[in-house]
Amino acid sequence: MAKRYLILEDGSAYAGEGFGAGATTSGEVITNLNLLGYQEIITNQIYHNQILIFSQPAIGNVGINHDSYESILPTAKGMVVRDVTNISTNRLSRLSLDEFLQQHNIPGISGIDTRHLIRKLRHMDGPVKGSIVDVADAHAFDQLNATVLTNRQVDQVATPKPYPNPDTGKNVVVIDFGLKHGILRQLSERRCNVTVLPWTASAQDVLNLDPDGVLLSTGPGSPLDLGDGVLEMIRTVQAEIPLFAIGLGHELFALANGASLRPLPVEYHGSSHPIRRIITNDIIYAAQGQGYAVDDKTIDRDRLITTYVDLINGTVQGLRHRDYPAFSVQFFTDGAPGPHESRDLFDEFMEAMTAREG
Amino acid sequence: MQNLNDLQKVLIIGSGPTEIGHETELDSATVQIITRLKKQGIRTSIIDNNPFSVALEEIQPTNMYIQAVTTENVRHILEKDQPDAIIPILGGLVGIRIAQELIENGDMRRLGIRLLGMPSSTMNQVNNPAALNATLKEIHEPVIEAKIVETTDEAMGLAESIGFPLIVKPVAPRLDTNRMICENVDEMITALNQGFQQSRFDQCTLEHSVVGFKEIEMVAIRDVADTKILISGLENVDPIGIHSGDSILVAPTQTLNDREYQNLRDATFRIASELGIVGVLHLNFALNPADQRFYITKVAPYFTRGVALAARTTGYPVALVVGSLLLGQRLVDVKLPSRYVKQTAVIEPTVDHVSVRIPIWPFQQVPDADQHLDTVMKAVGSTVGLGRSVEEAMLKAVRSSQFSPRDVLPSVSNLTDGEMIRQLIHPLANRILVLIEALRRGYSPAELSELTKIDNFYFVKLQHLLEIEKQIQANPMDVATLRAGRYYGFGDGMIARIWQTDTAAIRKLSASADIMPTYKMVEPTAGEFDEDTSGYYSTFEYENESHPLGDRTALVLGRGGNQLGPNSAAEYFTTEMLKQLKRAGYHTILMNTNPNAIGIAPEFSDKQYVDPIQLGDVLNVIQVEQPDIVIVPGNRHFLARELGKLSLNLHVLPPDQETGEPLPESATIGVSLFVNGDQKVAVGVMDLIAPGMNKKLSQVTAFRMPAELPKAKRLNLVEQAKQAVSERQLTGMVQVLFAPKNAQSKQLAVVGVRPTRLTEMAFLSKVTGVNWVRMLTRQHIGTLDDAELTAVNIDLNSQRVALMNAAFPFRQLHVLNRPGSTDQEVGATIAFGSSEALTLTNLSDTAELDQIINRTI
Amino acid sequence: MAKVVVDAMAMQRALTRITYEIIERNKGVDDLVILGIKTRGVYLARRIASRLQQLENVTVPVGDLDITPYRDDIEHDGNSADPEVTAANIDFSVEGKKVILVDDVLYTGRTIRAAMSAIMDLGRPKSINLAVLVDRGHRELPIRADFVGKNIPSSQHERIRVSVSEIDDRDAVEIQQA
Repeated sequence: MAKRYLILEDGSAYAGEGFGAGATTSGEVITNLNLLGYQEIITNQIYHNQILIFSQPAIGNVGINHDSYESILPTAKGMVVRDVTNISTNRLSRLSLDEFLQQHNIPGISGIDTRHLIRKLRHMDGPVKGSIVDVADAHAFDQLNATVLTNRQVDQVATPKPYPNPDTGKNVVVIDFGLKHGILRQLSERRCNVTVLPWTASAQDVLNLDPDGVLLSTGPGSPLDLGDGVLEMIRTVQAEIPLFAIGLGHELFALANGASLRPLPVEYHGSSHPIRRIITNDIIYAAQGQGYAVDDKTIDRDRLITTYVDLINGTVQGLRHRDYPAFSVQFFTDGAPGPHESRDLFDEFMEAMTAREG
Repeated sequence: MQNLNDLQKVLIIGSGPTEIGHETELDSATVQIITRLKKQGIRTSIIDNNPFSVALEEIQPTNMYIQAVTTENVRHILEKDQPDAIIPILGGLVGIRIAQELIENGDMRRLGIRLLGMPSSTMNQVNNPAALNATLKEIHEPVIEAKIVETTDEAMGLAESIGFPLIVKPVAPRLDTNRMICENVDEMITALNQGFQQSRFDQCTLEHSVVGFKEIEMVAIRDVADTKILISGLENVDPIGIHSGDSILVAPTQTLNDREYQNLRDATFRIASELGIVGVLHLNFALNPADQRFYITKVAPYFTRGVALAARTTGYPVALVVGSLLLGQRLVDVKLPSRYVKQTAVIEPTVDHVSVRIPIWPFQQVPDADQHLDTVMKAVGSTVGLGRSVEEAMLKAVRSSQFSPRDVLPSVSNLTDGEMIRQLIHPLANRILVLIEALRRGYSPAELSELTKIDNFYFVKLQHLLEIEKQIQANPMDVATLRAGRYYGFGDGMIARIWQTDTAAIRKLSASADIMPTYKMVEPTAGEFDEDTSGYYSTFEYENESHPLGDRTALVLGRGGNQLGPNSAAEYFTTEMLKQLKRAGYHTILMNTNPNAIGIAPEFSDKQYVDPIQLGDVLNVIQVEQPDIVIVPGNRHFLARELGKLSLNLHVLPPDQETGEPLPESATIGVSLFVNGDQKVAVGVMDLIAPGMNKKLSQVTAFRMPAELPKAKRLNLVEQAKQAVSERQLTGMVQVLFAPKNAQSKQLAVVGVRPTRLTEMAFLSKVTGVNWVRMLTRQHIGTLDDAELTAVNIDLNSQRVALMNAAFPFRQLHVLNRPGSTDQEVGATIAFGSSEALTLTNLSDTAELDQIINRTI
Repeated sequence: MAKVVVDAMAMQRALTRITYEIIERNKGVDDLVILGIKTRGVYLARRIASRLQQLENVTVPVGDLDITPYRDDIEHDGNSADPEVTAANIDFSVEGKKVILVDDVLYTGRTIRAAMSAIMDLGRPKSINLAVLVDRGHRELPIRADFVGKNIPSSQHERIRVSVSEIDDRDAVEIQQA
């Protein structure tokens, strides 16, 4: 394997061994603290154009499995790991991680002191740019510094056209901001007849389908990039139909109801924070992945109730509308990867749809 | 929900002597929990008869019941002392069984005593597969259906429908037995006969075998408010069919995908809730890699070696937290020492390293035991390796488990192909070496995986290590190769051997190329928070996180994994020594690879390095820490010799037992003296008892103090002993051995002198109330005060008699029970009483000895 | 054979949803009081109140309504005799309050009618809303629940058994063939 480098915009360079694609890429460098699920993580579109550093040192151990895709065409910009194993060992695997990354033109670099990087990034403000390159020379740093991090990532990864995911149960419209398949899997398990609409759908587009419920999906980037149209759609739909929003969808739901967002000093991507479910005062764990949080101080208490809170950083993790069966969570309630104990939020959504029928 | 706010008095059921299945980890957890209880102002008492218990040192004598851990004795204490609650989860299966019996016979209810850790209804199900299966089925957790049988005929009727291979398990066994796999009717009948005997109800269960599945373990904790966190998943490299205590264990799991892992986590949490656990839960699962389906195979709501490993590998302070949970605190409210980031207790641990635990077996000391690894545990200890890759962790663990003084792995290249194949299918203690040898001979990972049911992944990793080894062989003294070798866990000694040079040359090359270890902290948040835990391991990366501890530091080298012999006594010694060093103002640094060691808990040392205790690795730590004192255990001769060549303030503790002085064939009386310059303090005169017919010194495994001699005679022996010591210019804890002058005579004469053995030193400390380990430590570090030593007043003629008897693993190893020798000891028991109560009519009668020492008080 | 139709998790969710619906319907928790019908309705009422407390940090008064003579099987037998309900244990005024009446199972509606009479005897509430964990149909009076945990269409031969962990060994709703 070829010697390659991870360079960061602070001028540091880390030598490692390349795997996956040989491409030279740049992007925001993000730490992921999950213990397992590298395939789910790398295929999650919230990591569009980002370079992922894994805290788990041994990556690639179970190859690539056909039931662990969170999207078909991953668009992350790179994987940074301590140790990679390129095997297809699991019965379900068809590919090694190395082959998979080559197919999708995503470079990986191994042999990196990822623990050092993670500890360092924790103390660096704002998005940090990095590149995976062949030569860590002045030219590479110039290129990196000239790189402009993209916005409106949703446009790149969300479906431009509606598509169905038919079944025989409740009719659910999913608004796609770059959804992870885990959401569709959970709806399928509950027999939902799903129609996925592009995020640009209007309230009328949604209501025309006469759904039992509407789900706002996860997705990459900042919700502030997406404009007012989507917020208007949410305000109209939530008053008519039970609504459930996750991740980026949650952030949009908050914006639509008057709250503001604040960027986190350091993005958090992991599953180890205790999250308090306020109504029952119990604690759950869930995969989280966020660069923004709903600003608690800006929540209009006459419109929204805070339903979940992260006990470590105090961030709002769930909201519910006071007047409608409309609710949202910041964390990835489908798991994939991550704990399952918040999956019953999908049941809550189902029951909200049932209750509306009376 | 119990109201636990008014608890004032709690009794901990101790674990008794260490044995196969539980080592010093229970003692370690006990000490930490006592610390917690004390902090809450709870009066804690403990019943235990393990003379090497550190927990007993932490408790006021009035709260100490040094008695056999039996139901009768516990009931007696409950009646007399009336504690508010008992903690049975620190006593291993003995503790569980006693609690079960106290519940069954109504004592708990009658005396109004509460059970901490789980409700009574759950307690009744522990180790009762039928009852437990019923509960698990009710919550739709997959279990292997077990049918209860009371006769062999009944079993024959069921065997066909269950199908072979099937498993026989005794119901409510008296010992920590395990399932027995039977391939045919004959094997089943044998297993049933054994099982009926072991069962308290003369019953066995039959169930279908899941041999060959992956064995995965999960360790979780739960609080009274139903908050649950998973501490760690543990993956057995060996499949079901080899006891998890005999399997190589990896943490976190390496070959599970997220879905499989989360499904097991879900099941763990559901079971913890259903069973109402308030404390700790350790589960074993059989996972079919073909279809991701799993079965629950073991439910242990108490402290185990798995719990200890989970704590060590994550840096999460499990015992401290469980101590709080037992008292009804919620996880969100648990406060930890300031070195942890606030709320660490409620952050689910996630790690950024790999841990590998390799068992240590006693076959060298008990050569007649069947050395095949199967469903009955045979290992007596283990060592752990931590690293940033599976290769590095694996190789470090292997290096530590082989006890090679020069850090060179033994070779099994002399095996014939046939033998090798046989051992791949029916593994022996050298399992890991045989796996490596098979790869070396060209078997592919896929073939070996098929043959052994070990996941292909591990063979790929081992093969990678072989490739690096080849690279090392091909490139002598090459810097890049050295770098690669060290990166993947090769020790200086191994590389030196391959390059046919010495460690010093390797170290010189490393230094010139700036190949230095970087130490990483073992902490439970994978670098997310600035934790300041005290555990470290080495790797070769960019950032080093370990900085010198400061002034006045003492580096203590541990003894590594437990083996038979005086190991739990050595563990006691090391821990008490660490405490004394701390008291003397030293910052203590412990290097050890035994995950069950007491001293490795952060309570006992300021800093811990989990790295092979091999010359190169030790020198690396010395280089970082620059300790004022280095303490090397007496059994590590090569290490002591090599370290002695350097200008270090080196001490050998525990003392080397081999002084070179010839020892007598036999001895009947031992007089221990503490010798400090001209001062010779008489510590004790004890009978040296060799149960059985063979009276060799190496068979002396029971001790009684004071010796059954007339008072004047004892004093006379002491004088003779002092004389003998003066002649030999010895220092420290010395034992002078006496024996009758000849077969006819009763006249005793000095027949030899040796350092007091570690087991006897612990015994003497417990009996005299003076901690001789600490005295010896102080002597070494020069803080022993002459006047103080003069003031020590030992009653050599105490009316209270103490008896200590070694425990042996023969029963668990299924070999002939017999009087053992000192190098076969696995633990010991101690008893106190009047001379009448502890009189031995026949010194050879092991049964009588057992009976006396385990008597009901 | 008893069949579990609502397990512990589902019961938790149902109570959670009812709580949110109470907030939605009443535009908050001002002037709210909750009255539980003995025996299991009382525990459900307390759970709803504790949820409201968690969410809104407001203590909503909770009271008990006693059915006398206590006959657990009155409704299940389809016996059309009206039960007597007393409101002896309510130590707050319902005058002008929004009352949430809570029962475990809604069946003929006769208990609810009696409960409403008892409440009216205490004063004149602003409104009375009915929350039930299970609506099993077979109404004999024109009464409907405002908040329903789960609709369980049942035959009159079946028994619906609600267990709550406070007094039973677990949370569950089961159907039993009579």
